[in-house]
Amino acid sequence: MNSETLNTLNTYTKNKYKYGFVTEIDDEKPKKGLNEDTIKFISLKKNEPDWMLEWRLKAYSKWKKMKEPKWANLSFPEIDYQDIYYYSAPKGFEKKPKDLSEVDPKLIETYNKLGIPLEEQKVLAGVAVDVVFDSVSVATTYKGELEKLGIIFCSIGEAIQKYPDLIKKYLGSVIPPGDHSFSALNSAVFTDGSFVYIPEGVKCPMELSTYFRINAENTGQFERTLIIADKGSYVSYLEGCTAPKRDDNQLHAANVELIALEDAEIKYSTVQNWYPGDEDGKGGIYNFVTKRGLCAGKNSKISWTQVETGSAITWKYPSCILKGDNSIGEFYSVAITNNFQQADTGTKMSHIGKNTKSKIISKGISLGKSQNTYRGEVSFLRKADKARNYTQCDSLLVGNQCGAHTVPYIDSKNNTAVIEHEASTSKINEDQLYYCRQRGLSHEEAVSLIVNGFCKQVLQELPMEFAVEAQKLVSISLEGSVG
Amino acid sequence: MNIQDNYIKNKKNIFFSENKDIETYREKLINVFESDRLDKKNNESLKNINLKNFIDFNYKYLISEETSVINNNQENSYSIVSVNGQCSSFKDDKIEITKILDEDYNDFSKNDTIENNDHFVNLNSLFLNSGFKIVIKKNNNIKIKISNIITDDDLTIFQKNNYICEEGSSLNLIEEYENKNNSTLNLLNVIKLEKNSQLKHFLIQDNSSNHNLIITSHSTCKKDSNYTQKVYNFSEGYVRNFHYSELIEANSEADLQGIFFLKDNNTSNNKTFVKHLAEDCKSNQVYKGILKDRSKATYFSNTHVDQVAKKTEGYQLSKGILLSDNASYFSKPELKIYADDVKCSHGSTIGPIDENAIFYLRSRGMSRIAATKILISSFINEELSSIDNEQMSEIIQKKLVRYLSKVK
Repeated sequence: MNSETLNTLNTYTKNKYKYGFVTEIDDEKPKKGLNEDTIKFISLKKNEPDWMLEWRLKAYSKWKKMKEPKWANLSFPEIDYQDIYYYSAPKGFEKKPKDLSEVDPKLIETYNKLGIPLEEQKVLAGVAVDVVFDSVSVATTYKGELEKLGIIFCSIGEAIQKYPDLIKKYLGSVIPPGDHSFSALNSAVFTDGSFVYIPEGVKCPMELSTYFRINAENTGQFERTLIIADKGSYVSYLEGCTAPKRDDNQLHAANVELIALEDAEIKYSTVQNWYPGDEDGKGGIYNFVTKRGLCAGKNSKISWTQVETGSAITWKYPSCILKGDNSIGEFYSVAITNNFQQADTGTKMSHIGKNTKSKIISKGISLGKSQNTYRGEVSFLRKADKARNYTQCDSLLVGNQCGAHTVPYIDSKNNTAVIEHEASTSKINEDQLYYCRQRGLSHEEAVSLIVNGFCKQVLQELPMEFAVEAQKLVSISLEGSVG
Repeated sequence: MNIQDNYIKNKKNIFFSENKDIETYREKLINVFESDRLDKKNNESLKNINLKNFIDFNYKYLISEETSVINNNQENSYSIVSVNGQCSSFKDDKIEITKILDEDYNDFSKNDTIENNDHFVNLNSLFLNSGFKIVIKKNNNIKIKISNIITDDDLTIFQKNNYICEEGSSLNLIEEYENKNNSTLNLLNVIKLEKNSQLKHFLIQDNSSNHNLIITSHSTCKKDSNYTQKVYNFSEGYVRNFHYSELIEANSEADLQGIFFLKDNNTSNNKTFVKHLAEDCKSNQVYKGILKDRSKATYFSNTHVDQVAKKTEGYQLSKGILLSDNASYFSKPELKIYADDVKCSHGSTIGPIDENAIFYLRSRGMSRIAATKILISSFINEELSSIDNEQMSEIIQKKLVRYLSKVK
């Protein structure tokens, strides 16, 4: 690396986290630590029926017997589960505000700082937003319009009260609570999240969107999202995250379940920008997320798109179980790590049905002293006749202290299935850089242009509303350290 | 019988059991096997096989009365018949063959990363009962052919061979394994390439169905050296090929290739691991497999690029053809890269024979079987045509024809 690159690296790595502020609101918390009382407290606070509490306690008893999965290429101090608050809600939120004007102005201000003014969004973007502020849904807009189509879009807490049948049938059906320790933990203590149900034949006319946000210190955020697309329906769901600056590592263990029935399509897009820790690797979010989609019916489709720029530790594998014949699974990912961030992310495509297809495009960019790992499994079971997979994962290394790793697991048990995997790792091409500089771009602009081109295949999969934000995030992350 | 009793009972047959250091180390290994923490589930060396069968075994070893033969039939060309893993000593101005000594034991056997991960190397270190050491002297160009013969039924051979290629030397090494007895051969090859040396290593494996062949090799390459390995596996029994290579000085190269032909209930585990620890090194890992009936294969490949290893080029390729519904192939091509100025890539494909190609050949009047055979041959043609030894090429062609005759 030349000295100019190093100079720019040094100047820009000092970029501070833009969203590092804390809103001071009185919290209402149970005691620290995880035990049956905590779970009962959460259940009581959420005014849940008995069967839900039972479900939680069952998951808890499973969790007690489990150990954290250790196979990821991550190193972090052991998590002390007894040193975390498992529930935190801004006071006076047991009764929900009916209108935005009833919401605490301080909260609204927080979102304004984040750049998602609800008022404006309502008018301009046409996006219904289910905002989660430390575990309780603040406001759900555009509900009325969605209701007309029969679409249910509410917090999971509300869904447990109102649609117990759907919840009983689908909750935990894709990610069983006993799957691994983080899914058991989430099942025991999840506090909020979104619930979406699209009825038969309905194409959801707008992008559904949620903004998650962790606020109170030492509060693990345990989201549970459940999306069900009934026969022939379509929905596109957006999820975005930012978190304020804290010195302690915060734990985030979300579970997201998607179910697509016959001919249904779900598109799930994420921009993850949790606090990544400072340049010395202090602080930052521990992000242990389980995302799994089930293509239950014939001709169904699930598509994951993710842009991962934040978190001190990312452990995330959005996967698809392709059970229905002719079903399709897609995974597009950009993961950028900087400073001391560690990301171990990828996907899992399990081909069960006939003629199932999957496509994986993953782009990893490592900067600073970070470690970026792609870990993906593609498996063809015996009955997956004529199944097809294409995987491409490319890594880009910027600087000589970071690492880029690719760990694919490929398993074929069917002799008509075809699987292709390719991966490459390289640094930014000097010729391209030279070409751009020759045409008058600064070194940084040139790198930014090349990296954006590198990610384009994934970014173009994002819905319009997100694409702009994602591109901004990518260049902010790069601005920091690409010379 | 548990492993400790087994060891104590047969101690007198096992190499270096008087050496205190080695004894302490072996106790540690026994503890690894006995401990509850022995991770069987996530261990790459144990996929598709049952470790219990390899730990609970009846130890049997005989020093054969048939003596091994070293034959200098042409200039610079030697053929060696190794009987039950033993080879008598030999010395001339080009090569030197000796028994392995205590000090050779530590090479690779005591390796922290292997200790916890590769139980077969640990078994080899524990029950070591045979092996030899070959030194190729400076600036010599040598050809060696080694035939490995096992004389009795039910033998368990734990063998360690050391090869040292001195500066500027070049070695063409052909190893043949054709065993028909109900025996197990666990062989560890430790290969050292000095500056500017070259080793072309061919392994031809063709065992009967009740014979286990476990081959592990570890090569270290110094400056400007070049290690090429080609494995041809036609065996009907279980074969394990784990090959580790370390590029420790600049401008060295490692090329690990293999093809395997599996049928019936056969299992084959393969792994290649290249560690780039110096600048300007190149590596290549290519494995191709053809699986029919209920056979199973795994291929793990790993390219590790250290922070100092700039200008590295590392390539991996894994290809598999499944000829039957019940065959399965698992591949895990892994890249671990800690340096930025590198060119690394991997590719992996698994699938059936291309139907379009079959159609093309059939439309020209060929039967389906003939078309399949032609396509299989062309799939591995690249590997076969690169053999520059005529005699060997013939042997391999014959074995291929034998395999193809069973393709339906």
